[in-house]
Amino acid sequence: MGMDTSEWLRSFEATRAAADGWNPCETETLEALGRLRLDFLGRGGRLTESLKGLKGLSLDDRRKLGPRAQSLKASLAERIQRRKSELESSLDLSLEKDRVDVTLPALPPGRGRLHPLTLMALEMTDILRRMGFSVADGPLVEDDWHNFGALNIPEHHPARDMQDTFYLKDLPFLLRTHTSPVQIRAMERARPPLRVICPGGRVFRHDQVDATHSAVFHQVECLAVDRGITFADLKGTLDVFMKSLLGPSTKTRFRPSYFQFTEPSAEVDVSCLLCGGKGCPVCKLSGWLEMLGAGVVNPAVFKAVGLDPEEWSGFAFGLGVERLAIMKYRIPDIRLFYENDLRFLRQFDENIV
Amino acid sequence: MRISYSWLKERLELGLPPEELVRRLPSVGLEVASLERKGPAFSGVVTAEVLSVAKHPDADRLSLCQVTDGAQTYSVVCGAPNVAAGQKVPFARVGATLPGGKLSKAKIRGVESEGMICSAVELSLGTQASDIMVLDPATAVGVDAAELLGGGDVVLDIEVTPNRPDLLSHLGIARELSICFGLPLRKEVETTLQEDGELKPFPVEILSTGECPRYVGRLIEGVEVKDSPGWLKAKLEAVGLRPVNNVVDITNFILMDAGQPLHAFDADSIEGGRIIVRLAKPGESILALDGKRYPLSPEHLVIADASKPVAIAGVMGGQATSVTAKTKRLFLESAHFAPPGVRRASQALRLRSDSSFRFERGTDVSAAEWASHSAALLISRLCGKSVRVSPPLDVYPGRREPSPIRVAAARINAILGSDFPKADIEGVVERVCAKTSREGDCLVAVPPSWRCDLATPWDLAEEAARVLGYDRIPARVAPAALRPTEELRSHAVSRKSRSRMAALGFHECWSYDFLSVRQVSLLELPEAEQVALTNPLSEDWAVLRPSLAPGLLDAARRNNARAESVRLFEVGKVYRRAGAAVEERTRLAALLLGPMTPAHWRAPKETAGFFDAKAVMADLLSGVPGLRWTASGDGPGNGFAGDHLFLPSNRLFIQAPTGKLLATLGALHPRLARAWEMERQRPVLFEIDLDHLAGLSSPAPVFRAFSPFPSSWRDLSVVVRENVPYEEIEACIRSLRIGELDSVQLVDLYEGSGVPEGKRSLSLRLVFGRPDRTLTDAEVSSAVERILAELKNRFDAALRT
Repeated sequence: MGMDTSEWLRSFEATRAAADGWNPCETETLEALGRLRLDFLGRGGRLTESLKGLKGLSLDDRRKLGPRAQSLKASLAERIQRRKSELESSLDLSLEKDRVDVTLPALPPGRGRLHPLTLMALEMTDILRRMGFSVADGPLVEDDWHNFGALNIPEHHPARDMQDTFYLKDLPFLLRTHTSPVQIRAMERARPPLRVICPGGRVFRHDQVDATHSAVFHQVECLAVDRGITFADLKGTLDVFMKSLLGPSTKTRFRPSYFQFTEPSAEVDVSCLLCGGKGCPVCKLSGWLEMLGAGVVNPAVFKAVGLDPEEWSGFAFGLGVERLAIMKYRIPDIRLFYENDLRFLRQFDENIV
Repeated sequence: MRISYSWLKERLELGLPPEELVRRLPSVGLEVASLERKGPAFSGVVTAEVLSVAKHPDADRLSLCQVTDGAQTYSVVCGAPNVAAGQKVPFARVGATLPGGKLSKAKIRGVESEGMICSAVELSLGTQASDIMVLDPATAVGVDAAELLGGGDVVLDIEVTPNRPDLLSHLGIARELSICFGLPLRKEVETTLQEDGELKPFPVEILSTGECPRYVGRLIEGVEVKDSPGWLKAKLEAVGLRPVNNVVDITNFILMDAGQPLHAFDADSIEGGRIIVRLAKPGESILALDGKRYPLSPEHLVIADASKPVAIAGVMGGQATSVTAKTKRLFLESAHFAPPGVRRASQALRLRSDSSFRFERGTDVSAAEWASHSAALLISRLCGKSVRVSPPLDVYPGRREPSPIRVAAARINAILGSDFPKADIEGVVERVCAKTSREGDCLVAVPPSWRCDLATPWDLAEEAARVLGYDRIPARVAPAALRPTEELRSHAVSRKSRSRMAALGFHECWSYDFLSVRQVSLLELPEAEQVALTNPLSEDWAVLRPSLAPGLLDAARRNNARAESVRLFEVGKVYRRAGAAVEERTRLAALLLGPMTPAHWRAPKETAGFFDAKAVMADLLSGVPGLRWTASGDGPGNGFAGDHLFLPSNRLFIQAPTGKLLATLGALHPRLARAWEMERQRPVLFEIDLDHLAGLSSPAPVFRAFSPFPSSWRDLSVVVRENVPYEEIEACIRSLRIGELDSVQLVDLYEGSGVPEGKRSLSLRLVFGRPDRTLTDAEVSSAVERILAELKNRFDAALRT
């Protein structure tokens, strides 16, 4: 069932007249051009229908009329394409007119910052948690037993001179002078094996405040108690911890020292953050920075919390958060941490790379 | 502890240069705080002997001396009155360099002088100007005086930890270096002390044997109190002591040399000729050597004569019995006092001395005896020709032998995690300890009397590690604990709220915990709830903070000067006294002040206010179910010292489902704004009890379906009385339970022309929708009609036209 030739021709000629009558200049937008294209060349478009209609004609007519229709399609498609290019380039021109000064300053989103000491403490806590330590805590207002007695620092012992203490009026309490009482509280709370940290705990010393001394500062305390823990475990743990914290080339050095609650005790140095150990003014040419105190848990401490030192052994270390932040960020005065000047607080950001 | 290098060399065969020693000391646990080089102030000065002294022909006060340096004899003019034949002296030859300049040949009153016999001042070794320095008669001649007199000395300030009082002397350091570095100690020259058996020391009675386990006394007669010889003064000055007189200087010398504190009394001032070691009686006091009078109490141990205390035992002697220029007879005390008593007295009286410093750490009980001997020997040599020394009276009621420590090398390796050879460990134990014997695999080691710190295998493990080297212990990473680590809930809440506050644009502050009494009174915290310090650093820091607000206000004031957008927060502890306990809670506080954003061409210029703070707190607490926001804070457990912070008309309280107050929020009361010099601004603050918050829990989010069909919304402006709280209006709308009503938003609030006096216009955007289809206009209109009717009914609301 086909269309007869004259009917096809009538329809085709009407289409051709319409196509020829199209003045591209009168189509002013890309949208209108798109509609025009669909009208003629889209699926079901007028010219498309004519081309489909060819199939119903005789072979001769098809040979005669086919090329005419194809040629009309080609020329119309080309005119549409040309107009499209014209319209697009004029669009670019009008966009050009809307240009803005891209160098104007943008309003920063009002993001706040965490305190540098928070950042420092969180970083340390994260590493130690990955190494298998759980978080523990204790009060800042402590009793004598937890702050001193249980840590093998009896009353009237000169070791108390190392930690000048604030006492509360009319109350049998003091402000803890170190985070080590958290060790005692952790051992009172749970039986070993234990691996706990006190993350960035506040401590107090009766010290006049100046550029290098603060009456308030913070420590990260770490305690591991298990069977067969040795000084070698302490060395290994601190080595991994310091490398994670300060970079893989960091070296640690252990020097004999004294704390009542550890035996043997050590002062731990790390290779200078600035010069890497070659010697510079920051490390006073030594190549080392004093970083923290550590040691094997003194059996007297185990006895104080009712653990048998022949069965259990452990290590503990504590380091100053301020001290590390001062070295890492090269902060010249410890008081800056507590003045809360926005010009200071804004400087310390966690960069994403 | 100040250690003179040349002094140390008299105790130890020390070949290391000082810098090398300083470099090596930390590896055995000794920190050197400073190294002070006492520059060789002179050169070309040698020791010499004065052969003869004759009068200068032309000057009464000058003498003409013949002096030999062993190689040559010189003719020298000397102006010092104390020059005498037979003296050993420092002699500057022509050409010598002295602190005052180069010495040349000179004619003094017509007589040529071929050099100069030097005083301490001329060599910068002391303060004694008129006399020449007289050296120890045993000094060899021709020796470089710079070396001998410490002119070229190095003084090390070594930090000694409280557990090692045995290192508080030159002998102690020498012993330690000998053990650690294998350097031989020098043998002391054995000199016999001529004791006079006729002379009887005062009887000594110890009433508190626990406090004074040993007391050695000697009586010494025929003493001539005068200046010490130069070598002694030089030694004391090198370690920072001021020379006083020969007797006192000798006791100080023994203190610094051997670590044993001694005290010399003027024996003639001791009433009743006897010594009693006892506790002070009520009401007693003593005028001490420092010129101050100290009231004594029965917990203080004193040395007393028949009638009165003559010394605070182990701390300081009394002025009445002190050695003076007139003293002829001495009573020499060399005792051992128990550490706690000395420390108690020293602390209570706020009086510290070199003696108390050593006694409170623990001295060597055996030294009480031999130090007395050494001191007596020096006194007999340096305090005149007719000195007579009594035998010692050694009262030793508290005799206790050190307990042996039983330990195997394997045990030490097990503590350290090390692999030190057995022989090395045992070698250290043998060197450190006084006596060792063997019992199977174990060593039984008796610590020496001066090592009070050695009692357990752990102590010996530390000795082994220290001497053999901490760096030789391997580093072992403990196998991973196959247990999940826990984070404390309170810690997690702090951590998350910190991050949230920073994300909301707030900068984190850390403040001190101390406030002044005035600041606390501004918060109107009753005194019974204040936690005050016994020993504050200053009046500004007398009370522990009951709120974080004052710290933030301080910070705001500091930053306010630059008219910045100030948005601060802090997470920290607050303290409140509750009877005999201190309640310590973690809070989060935040403060907004000034413009919402920094001045910027893109930014609106609005000042932060109450509703900005409310928005932040709402965000922080979003997801916590059951919170009640109210304008009055009468809930139980109201521990907030923040109630008085805020304008009563401009504050909010948030109650937890338990009914407990969880948080407060408001604009700062003008009274406080004035106190913080921010009268013209109105900071807004809030404070949340994070401990309460940590006790609550919020459900994990569960997906709720939302409609795929478009929603419809209508804006409805109603006029109501201005005293109707918005909260009630929204509650009223919700009470209709219109299922299609998705949300109610207040999009505008207006008072003023067009709205009657005493009323306000609220524009509410009502959003409707259904999950299964699009609502028709008629359905929406009918719902809006119901709402309007209810608002009219309840609040007499009118549609605004």
